[in-house]
Amino acid sequence: MSASFTFRRLRFVLIVMLPVLVAACTSGATPTVSIPADATSSAQPAETGTPPPEPTEAATFPMTLTDDEGTEVELAAEPQRIVSLTPAATETLFALGVGDRLVGKVEDFSLYPPEAAAIPDVARFGEVDVERIVSLEADLVIAGGNNFNPPDKIEQLRGLDVPVVVTYAPDIETVFTDIELIGLAVGRADEAADLTASMRAAFDQVEAAAAGLERPRVFYELDATQAIYTAADDSFLAAMIELAGGEPITTGSTTSFEIPLETLVTADPEVILLGDAAYGVTAEAVAARPGWNVMTAVREGRIRPIDDVIVTRPGPRLVDGLRALARAIHPDIDLPGSAAASGSPSAASPAASAVP
Amino acid sequence: MTSDGAVASRPLVVGRIGRARRGPLLLAGGGGIALVLGLVLGVGLGTVAIAPADTLAILAERLLGVDLGRTMTPAVETIVWELRLPRVLTSMVVGAGLAIAGATFQGLLRNPLADPYVLGTASGAALGAAIAVVIPVRVAFLGFGLLHGFAFLGALAAVFTVYRLSRIGGLSALTSLLLTGYAVGSLLAAGLAMAMYLSGAALRQIFSYLLGGFDTAGWPQLAGAVPLVAVGSLLILVRARALNGLLLGEEAAAHLGVDIRRERAILLALASLVTAAAVAVSGLIGFVGLVVPHVVRLVVGPNARLVLPLSALGGAALLAFADLAARLLGEIPVGVVTAVIGAPFFLFLLRRSRSGYEL
Repeated sequence: MSASFTFRRLRFVLIVMLPVLVAACTSGATPTVSIPADATSSAQPAETGTPPPEPTEAATFPMTLTDDEGTEVELAAEPQRIVSLTPAATETLFALGVGDRLVGKVEDFSLYPPEAAAIPDVARFGEVDVERIVSLEADLVIAGGNNFNPPDKIEQLRGLDVPVVVTYAPDIETVFTDIELIGLAVGRADEAADLTASMRAAFDQVEAAAAGLERPRVFYELDATQAIYTAADDSFLAAMIELAGGEPITTGSTTSFEIPLETLVTADPEVILLGDAAYGVTAEAVAARPGWNVMTAVREGRIRPIDDVIVTRPGPRLVDGLRALARAIHPDIDLPGSAAASGSPSAASPAASAVP
Repeated sequence: MTSDGAVASRPLVVGRIGRARRGPLLLAGGGGIALVLGLVLGVGLGTVAIAPADTLAILAERLLGVDLGRTMTPAVETIVWELRLPRVLTSMVVGAGLAIAGATFQGLLRNPLADPYVLGTASGAALGAAIAVVIPVRVAFLGFGLLHGFAFLGALAAVFTVYRLSRIGGLSALTSLLLTGYAVGSLLAAGLAMAMYLSGAALRQIFSYLLGGFDTAGWPQLAGAVPLVAVGSLLILVRARALNGLLLGEEAAAHLGVDIRRERAILLALASLVTAAAVAVSGLIGFVGLVVPHVVRLVVGPNARLVLPLSALGGAALLAFADLAARLLGEIPVGVVTAVIGAPFFLFLLRRSRSGYEL
């Protein structure tokens, strides 16, 4: 394993885990996406699904909106030159039909949609090229909170009169409100409301389909090259696994993503999901690890790859992520409808080829 | 000064005197040119290509009030005036401050390995910055966040503690200062490690402070650093005679009429103030404060009257170029660049210098 490979791994772990990280701050925030009364197991695409909790006002500019960090952001006119500093925001903007207004984006190793490749990179993990953003005459920057983008760079941009909306989703509900926030900021509030309504409906569907099934103990492997990393207590990832009909094995801490092997063996996972499958981790390799053969999942051969990007990226494809998760936990789950019903771009990308 | 007493073969002595006369002028001239060049290149180059004529026009209009009749987009003006110029100037001020502080500490402690961070300044500033990042309070005042303030206070508090503790006990003052600095620094480093461990997602912010850099430097940061660095440096320059006296050793200095304890305390306080102001703005940038004064001494000899101002010049030029290189290479840590540029150059000078080198 070369040094650069290890470095890329480390960076991957950081990229993947940062959005999820410090879900700890909102401890006890279990996602309340579904309203059981609405969630019938009928095959009808729930057009009358859960309505968005807050009605979005008609977008009129100039407007002042409040971002996820509580900062009031003033937008003089409907933004036409947008810079996206998180992969999720890039996907959201394309899903809302304003991808053509993007003039810059953050570097993304799992770029989606493919059209986004044409947009120049103006930031990478931990670094933001303020000079480039100014020269692009951006009239809206969508950034990631919780240190996804360096806070001092966000301050610097604001000091230069570039409006910055900071998004950060510590739980699933905020993924929806973030999409609505971005929709409001770019003048596509109605489209955003439609998108989140269909996402909520799809979430309800999955939860309803998983409701009658057994709930196996699920270990979701984020990384195991050095220590073993998995979902923290009350984290975004743990909530996704619960919705998909599994009992997540968590680290026992809301802040740490590391789980000791002893704890994992004691918890005895019934299903092991390989979020690091894109990095070449295989079921055979997991089964061959010393000490792992005592786990039920290993003995009974339930070690499955999963596309980590769609499961952990807080954007429109989260629906696909939840479905993939449900199918990985319950291979014969009856999931009515396809990705098309979700209103989000269908993306059944094979896990192993997601990352170069 | 001390080396003037060397009784060597005649040609060597002549050579050395000749060089000592020309050295300061050459260094000052070279440093001045490098500084101007650093300013021009630093403002002219960046990730966005801006025509040199546009850059000049913006500077002429803003600095001299001359309208050259070129029209630029507001974005270009912002990049030149709000991003690049304050950044270049900040790197120069910090470089000058660190080099002067380094020269002062080396002379004061009579230790060639001393640098601005030797008495716990770095650990104190880093711990202060880490605490500011970890505590969930966000205050910003004129572009200064809690991080800048805590780093500044942390640096000063660390030096103050070291100084007070070093005066207890029977060791000689210098040895005691150095060892106390080391001990306190280690303790603070442990605190820093703990803060980093607890910082979660904010770790990267602490990390980038430890690596140092100017990528968010603007006019407010410059305005905050300039008075402290300038006043501190000038006051050190005024005391160059005392520093020369201290270089001779305590007894000799006392014979020269230098109030050792008082002068040492004052110089220590001034150098620490300059260092604290520099690290509060830029984070921890190594190497400049250690090596620039040595390079200057290799050329002009140990006289503090020459070493201090020339170190300031050299530090400013080195850091301006190092930051430019860091910027053009994609915002790599500036401390990496200073070391990569500085270390080989320093080694080259060390190998070339035939005359004995004394602090």
